[in-house]
Amino acid sequence: MNEQIRREFQVLGKPTPKKDAPLKAAGRAEFADDINMPGMLHGKLLRSPHPHARIVSIDTSRAAALPGVRAVITGKDFPGVRYGNLPRTRDYLPLAIDTVRYIGEEVAAVAAIDEDTAEEALDLLQVEYELLPAVFEPEEAMKPGAPQLHAPAPGNISAHTESQFGDVAAAFAEADYVREDVFETHAVKQGMLEPHACVGVWDSFGKATLWSCKMSPYTVWRQLAMGLDIKPSDIRVVQTYVGGGFSGGKQEAMPMDFCALMLSKKTGRPVKFVHTMEEVLTIGHMRHPMKIWLRTGTTKDGRILAQHCKLLANGGAYSSIGGFSIFLAGAMLNLPYRVPNMKFESDRVYTNNGFCGALRGHTVVQMCFARDSQLERIAEDLGIDPLEIRRRNALHDGDVTPNGFRINTFAFDECITRVAEMSGWYSKRGKLPKYRGIGFGCGAHLSGARLMGHSASAAEIRMLEDGTVHLTTGSTDVGQGVETVMSMIAAEVLGVEVDDVNYLKVDSAATPLDPGTFGSRVTLFTGNAVKQAAEEVCRQLAEIAGERMGVDQQDLVFRKREIINRKDERQRVSLKEIVRWAMFQQGRVITGRGTYGASEEKIDFQTGQGNLSPAYNPTACAVEVEVDPETGFVDVVGLWGADDSGTPLNPMAVRGQVIGAAVMSIGHALYENLIRVDGKVMNPSFRDYKMPQATDLPKLADFQHANVITWEPEGPFGAKEAGQGAGTGVIAALANAIYDATGVRLTRLPMTPESILFGLKGVQQQKGNRGP
Amino acid sequence: MTYLKRLPKFEYVSPRSLDEVCGLIAGTSDDEVMLLAGGTDAILQMRRRERVPRRVIGLKGVAELEFVRERADGSLAIGAMTALHTLLSAPAVSQRYDLLRETTAQIGGPELRNVATIGGNIAGALPCADLPPALMTLGARIRLSSQRGDRWLPLDEFFPEFGRTVAEDDELVAEISLPRPASNSGGTYLKFHDRHSMDMTVVGVSAFVVLDDDGRTFRDLKLAYANGAPTVFRARRAETVLRGHALTDEGLEAVAETACAESSPRTSWRANGEYRLELIRALTKRAIRLAWGKASSRKGTKP
Amino acid sequence: MIDLIPVSLRVNGVRYDIDIRPWRTLLEVLRESLGMTGTKRSCGEGQCGTCTVLIDGKAVNSCLYLAVEAQGKEIATIEGPPAGDPALQQIQRSFVSKGAVQCGFCTPGMVVATKALLADNPAPSEDEIREALVGHLCRCTGYVQIVEAIQDAARGMQDAASQMAPKGSD
Repeated sequence: MNEQIRREFQVLGKPTPKKDAPLKAAGRAEFADDINMPGMLHGKLLRSPHPHARIVSIDTSRAAALPGVRAVITGKDFPGVRYGNLPRTRDYLPLAIDTVRYIGEEVAAVAAIDEDTAEEALDLLQVEYELLPAVFEPEEAMKPGAPQLHAPAPGNISAHTESQFGDVAAAFAEADYVREDVFETHAVKQGMLEPHACVGVWDSFGKATLWSCKMSPYTVWRQLAMGLDIKPSDIRVVQTYVGGGFSGGKQEAMPMDFCALMLSKKTGRPVKFVHTMEEVLTIGHMRHPMKIWLRTGTTKDGRILAQHCKLLANGGAYSSIGGFSIFLAGAMLNLPYRVPNMKFESDRVYTNNGFCGALRGHTVVQMCFARDSQLERIAEDLGIDPLEIRRRNALHDGDVTPNGFRINTFAFDECITRVAEMSGWYSKRGKLPKYRGIGFGCGAHLSGARLMGHSASAAEIRMLEDGTVHLTTGSTDVGQGVETVMSMIAAEVLGVEVDDVNYLKVDSAATPLDPGTFGSRVTLFTGNAVKQAAEEVCRQLAEIAGERMGVDQQDLVFRKREIINRKDERQRVSLKEIVRWAMFQQGRVITGRGTYGASEEKIDFQTGQGNLSPAYNPTACAVEVEVDPETGFVDVVGLWGADDSGTPLNPMAVRGQVIGAAVMSIGHALYENLIRVDGKVMNPSFRDYKMPQATDLPKLADFQHANVITWEPEGPFGAKEAGQGAGTGVIAALANAIYDATGVRLTRLPMTPESILFGLKGVQQQKGNRGP
Repeated sequence: MTYLKRLPKFEYVSPRSLDEVCGLIAGTSDDEVMLLAGGTDAILQMRRRERVPRRVIGLKGVAELEFVRERADGSLAIGAMTALHTLLSAPAVSQRYDLLRETTAQIGGPELRNVATIGGNIAGALPCADLPPALMTLGARIRLSSQRGDRWLPLDEFFPEFGRTVAEDDELVAEISLPRPASNSGGTYLKFHDRHSMDMTVVGVSAFVVLDDDGRTFRDLKLAYANGAPTVFRARRAETVLRGHALTDEGLEAVAETACAESSPRTSWRANGEYRLELIRALTKRAIRLAWGKASSRKGTKP
Repeated sequence: MIDLIPVSLRVNGVRYDIDIRPWRTLLEVLRESLGMTGTKRSCGEGQCGTCTVLIDGKAVNSCLYLAVEAQGKEIATIEGPPAGDPALQQIQRSFVSKGAVQCGFCTPGMVVATKALLADNPAPSEDEIREALVGHLCRCTGYVQIVEAIQDAARGMQDAASQMAPKGSD
């Protein structure tokens, strides 16, 4: 039946170029930095040079007196209300008031007639600091007597979670085999190419408007209201094109947003801010560096009986969504495996570094690196084939995990099979030349999380008199293809072409409320809402058409811009004609609304019990590497991945997402590392923060991806997420491949040539010690 | 925090001849005047406020500094303002100076090579610069010009210490001269960096080998290093180890050992000195082998 | 100190006589003085390639190029000449149809660099394409679709050229 539905797709399921691609390829898509308004001023932020200090005083007089400077503001120009994501973790301020907690924190802002003058003015701001002791590592920060970052968080514990399912102690006691390992992950950045940028206008009637490249405009809208202490209805957030997001700060209100508005209020002019890449790489929003202690007990045939994980996350100076970050790590510890007994304890600790939050794959990536590296060691110790141990422990359709995840569709086994075939696993593993190796890695993700606060999505469709479709939701395209897949869903239901659907960017004054783009929620959540809205429009149009055609509306189908009597296909009327009739003769506005709230299922965030997402997707990949034994250099020569993204609605976009996610993970595993020395980022530059280039990746022929197609009942037309899961298994696969090639087991990221070379020396020494 | 700011204010002049340039820099100091060649490093230095010149002298309009010419004596003359891209496409370079072509191709990407110049890569005096080691092993001499006249010196003697050259404030690098390589010679430059491309060099090793007429022993070996020490340098003692000898594993080990002893790579957040030494050891051997291979295959071909 | 200096820039075949300050980069002048915002600013140091333009046919990072030094040269940007540029249009079509555009921030630089590549080398190998993309970061696609788009554009341009050629010339 599912096959049949797919075959009958008119629009969905066909590789479809992004609707906005022609505009973007022509350089005519307007990004936030491209906005220019008459009289516009340019803003710049002064940042703290100290990791931890009290602000004694700020003298703005010299800066204010510089010709061309129009206004200077400090933290005291704001109401002093903290903002953030959860009531308990609201610790951001638009500008620091009395304390700075990391190098790069925003202290003051200026608006001037041009960027040069604004920069010059920063040098004239005189800030007197009283230095405070600083702490950079979580272990140090938790010690008694350590410098305290936030009064409400004794011991610098920013967040703590604990959960236990099943009888972990008994399961370990029963286990034939138990091993413990410690893994360490590092600070990495989102690396979107578009720096944060915004333009703010606060008019004399008290209405504040922000144009910005936001992934989650409504989150920004609420946070602006919070930090400015004004009504949300006095604020409007308008989304521009977004030049990459990955949760690099574009999901929240940032100091630049507050300052653009406040400086506009003071000057009566539009004010634009654009970060330099140095600022982007220095400030917060990065992946949590973690120490992961993982203990696993299995039967002698490699079946996992229990896992116990202790995790320590270096959260940096502020909360961001760090509480959820570590919760998610625990919740996703088991996937894609069956782990009947599991225990998870974790602390997120404040330190005087840039703060950490989400980044593609969120904390699932770190957990998968640890777990799938360890699983490989278990397989080796027990003499089990690495693929076989994964199959033995694989979750399947219909499983319910001990923490309450209800798995509808989960083609993990098929993913493993496909990767084995594509990569030639069995002809390669153990048979490759020396220093060449192949490794396997698996992961999983969810299709949007049910959250404590705003979780649901909505969509609205209005028919226009020419038969085209005006579609609005609160979900933003950040490059992943939202505007295209939402248009495709609407077009599929309404029987029109993708180009007939006009998908508007988010504007808090006009588009439905939505939590935004994150957590792989959009295709499933917003997609369901769009489908429902389109169905509602069809119902209304069918009613009118049925009456006019004298046909039972149940018999009407929507296809090729026409409404057709399925019992007598000669009876048909164009969509346009019906819409015009409804509008012109009846004065009706044909609109349809849809919502999706993923049901009202409750997640217990204390115990971790509950079905966190409507759908879950597994992923598997194999990576082949060649290691230079004299330098430790790793050449990634092949990557083969398979994912169960449900039914790919736009295969072109799905392919783009999964390959992009895999490549980002290669970068994070091998090249990228945000190096901090005493809280100072040493490499805030694309010269030294090294993301993969086109030459760093396998050739087209050895870089393949397959979709294992399932029909997810919760998804719109069977779809699940695609943008994050595919990156989760890659790092472990690389670690396992490097081990296969060299015998060096790396448990610490990044896997640098240096660590491999010295690891090789260690391996050779051990061999020497053991004798021939 | 040091911001990458917008450029500082400066006066800009665009001389048309070398004489004019020499006149403009005569009697000035480096603090007040900056020569702008390709600008790919210089603009960043100014944006980081490492240099805030009062006046920038743009060299892009000095046509007489842009040339690749074979001289009657068989040597190759390269104008300092020759872009890396031009070097790559110059037939003389491809035909006779494979080491130079290979090194140039490893620098940056096309956009950078279209603008960056050979003179800029030398005069920047960076220990990680890639061209100086290759040019040193090819026996490069450079011409420094000033109103006082020209002087020639071996490139080996150009970098006395980190970030400095022996050029006086009123001198500029005008020309690079390379002797014609012997027929039975070959060279290679191995640049190690974390990614495949577009990286700062962690360690760079240039080896240039001249075989004896019988093709079995080293007549000459030259070795030079990027990031092996505070300046680009030649490992002169290591160069002597194999002279007159055949290529053997033990010999290579000895050369590499000596090269390591001559090196003093620094530890920084970019790489540990200990690791750089390992690279010097490994890449020295590899570079000599490759250069030897090239020299052997060229033996007997017409120069 | 000399402040504003008059320059005459030829951009996409159109001449612009403007007064600029000597410390302005070409990127700043294109975006801020001429309102051509298709050329993007990102890293500011020649690493990301989003600001790529052609100067006398050669791809350069406009963030590292003084605008005064572009005087008298032909500058080509993503906006293209008013009458359109068949090569640019073919490359843009290929980027669109092959899924090489996601967030689109790297795209203008990639497209312009591709124009320079294919002008020099109409039938580049996969390796040559990858080498040509060094200095262009893309965080969305993983480059696979970009490489495929460039291959497609090369084929498209060759097909167009062979149709233009007089009969019997092959």
